[in-house]
Amino acid sequence: MDLSGKSYKAYLERREALKKQYSPKQAEKQHKKGKLTAHERINRLFDPGTFEEIDTFVTPADQPVEFGKVERTFGDGVIVGHGKVNGRLVFAYAQDFTIMGGSLGVVHSRKIAKIQEMALKMGSPIIGIMDSGGARIQDGVASLSGYASIFHNIIQSSGIIPQISVIMGPAAGGAVYSPALTDFVFMVNHTSYMFVTGPNVVREVLNEDVTFEDLGGAEIHAIKSGVAHMIYDDEENTILALKKFLSYLPSNNVENPPFVPEDGTVQDVCEKLRDIVPDDPNKAYDVKDVIQLVVDRNSFFETAELFAPNLVTGLARLKGRTIGIVANQPKVLAGVLDIDSSTKGARFIRFCDAFNIPILTFEDVPGFLPGAEQEHRGIIRHGAKLLFAYSEATVPKITIILRKAYGGAFIVMNSKNLGGDFSFAWPTAEIAVMGPEGAVAILYRKELAESKNPAELKKELVKKYRDKIANPFIADELGYIDEVIDPAVTRKKILSALNALSNKWVKVPNRKHGNMPL
Amino acid sequence: MNDKLHISRLFALSSDNRKYSFSVPLKNKIRIGKRDYTVQLKSDDKYGTYILWKNRRYPLEVVRSRQNKYEILFNDISYIFTVETPFSLQRMKVINTRKGKPGLASVKAPMPGKLLDVLVREGAPILRGEPLVILEAMKMQNEIQSPVNGTILKIHARPNTNVMKDDVLVEIKAD
Amino acid sequence: MKIRKILIANRGEIAVRIMKTAKKMKILTVAVRTAAEPDAMYLSFADEIYDNTDDNSEIPVFLDIEKIIAIALKTGADALHPGYGFLAENAYFAQKCLDNKIIFIGPSPDAIYKMGNKTIARKLAIQNGIPLAMGSEGNIGDEEEALTVAEKIGYPVIIKAASGGGGRGMRIVRDPSEMIKMFPIARREAEKAFKDPSVFIEKYIENPKHIEFQILGDKKGNIIHLGERECSIQRKHQKLLEEAPSCALDNALRKKMGNMAVRIARAVKYYSAGTVEFLLDSDKNFYFMEMNTRIQVEHPVTELVTGIDLIEKQIRIAGGESLNLKQEDIRIKGWAIECRINAEDVQSGFAPSPGRIEKMSMPDYPCVRVDTGVREGSVIVANYDSMIAKLIISGKDRKEAITRCKMALDKVWIKGAKTTLPFFRLLVRNQNFQNGNFTTAFIEKDLDQYYYNSEYEEMLAAWLATKLFIEENLQSNSINVDFSDGKEMSPWLLNKRINQF
Repeated sequence: MDLSGKSYKAYLERREALKKQYSPKQAEKQHKKGKLTAHERINRLFDPGTFEEIDTFVTPADQPVEFGKVERTFGDGVIVGHGKVNGRLVFAYAQDFTIMGGSLGVVHSRKIAKIQEMALKMGSPIIGIMDSGGARIQDGVASLSGYASIFHNIIQSSGIIPQISVIMGPAAGGAVYSPALTDFVFMVNHTSYMFVTGPNVVREVLNEDVTFEDLGGAEIHAIKSGVAHMIYDDEENTILALKKFLSYLPSNNVENPPFVPEDGTVQDVCEKLRDIVPDDPNKAYDVKDVIQLVVDRNSFFETAELFAPNLVTGLARLKGRTIGIVANQPKVLAGVLDIDSSTKGARFIRFCDAFNIPILTFEDVPGFLPGAEQEHRGIIRHGAKLLFAYSEATVPKITIILRKAYGGAFIVMNSKNLGGDFSFAWPTAEIAVMGPEGAVAILYRKELAESKNPAELKKELVKKYRDKIANPFIADELGYIDEVIDPAVTRKKILSALNALSNKWVKVPNRKHGNMPL
Repeated sequence: MNDKLHISRLFALSSDNRKYSFSVPLKNKIRIGKRDYTVQLKSDDKYGTYILWKNRRYPLEVVRSRQNKYEILFNDISYIFTVETPFSLQRMKVINTRKGKPGLASVKAPMPGKLLDVLVREGAPILRGEPLVILEAMKMQNEIQSPVNGTILKIHARPNTNVMKDDVLVEIKAD
Repeated sequence: MKIRKILIANRGEIAVRIMKTAKKMKILTVAVRTAAEPDAMYLSFADEIYDNTDDNSEIPVFLDIEKIIAIALKTGADALHPGYGFLAENAYFAQKCLDNKIIFIGPSPDAIYKMGNKTIARKLAIQNGIPLAMGSEGNIGDEEEALTVAEKIGYPVIIKAASGGGGRGMRIVRDPSEMIKMFPIARREAEKAFKDPSVFIEKYIENPKHIEFQILGDKKGNIIHLGERECSIQRKHQKLLEEAPSCALDNALRKKMGNMAVRIARAVKYYSAGTVEFLLDSDKNFYFMEMNTRIQVEHPVTELVTGIDLIEKQIRIAGGESLNLKQEDIRIKGWAIECRINAEDVQSGFAPSPGRIEKMSMPDYPCVRVDTGVREGSVIVANYDSMIAKLIISGKDRKEAITRCKMALDKVWIKGAKTTLPFFRLLVRNQNFQNGNFTTAFIEKDLDQYYYNSEYEEMLAAWLATKLFIEENLQSNSINVDFSDGKEMSPWLLNKRINQF
């Protein structure tokens, strides 16, 4: 085709100008910071040649009041569009730090809002890649309202389409609430930050010196605040992981999660499982060893790995079908439930429930963490979230009791009368109102006080309690669990349970929404 | 398939910073001097998984992998690698120069208890998530894990001693 | 009295080793099944198994004197072999066996007691003119006495527990200020480890060789030695590699040391197999250290160079037979090296590395003997020692034995636990080791790294890491997703789901 005609001249000039705007020199600026450009990020995310950018040539809004300079650039610092990720339609926006620091102007925000609305209409996942200095000061209140409409769109789409945020630069001020509202937040170590107020303001207001990294770096958010769910050391690994993560998720809340053929062989009967729980009930083990042996080979994708590691959450596959896993981790704090692990678990369960992902629970929990600190910070309120989330979820729910299942924690961790569909216990399970030591101390207080050799008596009583009460067989006989199973057949049992539950439907009472104890 | 990522070369970086470069797609031949030698990853009933190289079998096991980090037990020796792309390697340099001197991480006891075992020694390299000490608290043995990748600088923990909450157990020089 | 049935009061490779010889001698054996390892390999070598898996006691049954005696009586065993470790050197236990008319395959309780108490053993050595490192005459009561004695002997000195052994409770002291610090610690340690706080002081020999002599004696007073073993390759007093003979000894010295070994054994009317340990300094002065009144882990190297089955001799002697061997009948032929392949992590200071042995195959050559109690599927448990196998190699001389050892090490295939193999691969390549130029301080002083890997091994591991990365990230299943599958669901579910929204 000949594009030399007069009418094409303007078209070609604009194309040329765009090319210049995204020159290698511009890219070099990002690379020098160890960051990729917005285009490079998009290209790595989408299947080659499938990404279609829209609103490429929009320009920034006119300023109501002249204050500071606004570069007249194309696109207003954000790339939006759609394409295929591993063959499936996905919408995305990526902020471009090389253009006015990726600041969110009016047009910038409209572009994002537009792509959000499209994603919701099509029932497709949306990815936001953030690298922005924040609201564009020059655009004033208009940019703030831009944020508001972005937030509103996220909330409207919440639970309907998966929304994932990837933080690849700064996200400060109001901007942080956009990722916070989405389902999962990915961050990149050393080059991404999130905070409501930056170190400079902290210094002015509180006279406190804190670095970007310590205030809102990826590690802080992954370990301490729980804001970031997944962190990686570089951007390419982040995008690779994001693509992998997407393969577990359905496009929307009507569909079921996608199917991925199993690779390699995981035996349905695995004798190694018999060796994992140690004979000594006080010895720890890694619950992830159990998970790895039950799910499809290499299919476990842990979420929020570093936050509240006493509860393990993550997505995995069983015979190619996505399941959500919630597991107490005996290796960390004995797998006790505390505030952080309760909220982590609750949010994960609600995500699974929204997107038709069955929930598999591995239980080995000594109870809730005792102490004034936890009580005063509201372990009651936060523990209730986990309880609420489990009970409210209507997806198939299966529990495997590996070892300890004591007291309130037993109830909370998806017990049958809370709405769990199937509950299996390993022979190593201990189901009771409280642990042996506690029970003995209460029931035999007098005898222990009067005994000549209280330590010996206590040991004896503890053993008796373990043999007679803290075992799975009483619960089995009373029907509070479905079956005591050989650990080796765990995968087989779960598969047949999932099979039986594949058409599960629960009519939820009509209401606006429940009142979760937030 | 690999052109999706524009990756034509990958680097395996050992824990003491030796760099091995491989072209992508990965060949099963490695050039030593002027000759190519075939390396094969195999598995059978008698030997399990192994690498066949120059007519010799080497036992191997993937001890753990996390993101792009791999701990591999090869012929009874553990190796830790991170697999880097050309860009991530460049990025690593940028970040290392910016970071300046490596940070110190001190691992504190998360709760009062009794130390049962110290699993590391001073000077040893450590990966995030690897166990450092076993702390018995609340009648349970807890693994206290390394919060960072780095090297063990100092061990304050002694087996069979009691510790208070927030006692420093191990100091780690972060990478 | 002919022995008919032996209870093996032990586990692991030594249990297997004893049962093999018993089978050859057509003697029945009884093994004990424990809860800690109910499927252990040694059980499959026994004619009869006593099931003790119900025993929940925290003390291993092999340390429980009453229980072991009861098992022997219940199973009708007329003899008992204690192996090494556990109750092998417990005089009370040996007496208890005799009291119950069970033949204890080992020396007399009296010999065990006397040699077990270091103070008595030292006195006996002095009485019999055996060279000893200078030391206190008896136990030391307090710091003051310790200081005086140490001053007399000259620093450095070593504080040892009177009831100790195996390196526990030993403290090297280099000056008086250290003595004040260490003495109470040593006593406390001795108290804790052996329930006996008595300690004594000896001259500390710097960087000696550890040479030991194998002794055989019968109940009629015939005592001979079977030559020496070189056990200097040790770490924190744990032996890792032993050989027979030792390149540090010539015939004259061998004869001299051997005679001394026999003499000390005679002092306690020793019968059965035993070992007399000496330290040999760089000027070829030797000092009596202790006598071990049991079969040793490293006994196979002696068997290979003498052609004598030590377990068989133990059993025959226990049954009252004469030794039927004179000193001049003993000929040392060739060279033997034993490598202890333990489940230990040489990269973190030989820390135990327990695990399930998933694959295991051992070199099958006439020059290689493998003593093991572990097979595929066995679990190396933390309760017991970390030994997987002993690899024993023989050759016509030391050079050939080392060369063969190098080859054999590359043929050992163990998966499931980290082992000491890389350490031995390093050792057989070490110039000083090859030249026989090493002492007990060798590992700490001569080696800056405890393992060997060929220059290509790290590269191959790197290749593997890269391959895994590519498989997981660039070719993983996440690329093979069937998204359409999620859209197909039963009308039942689809209808209800849509209606709800």
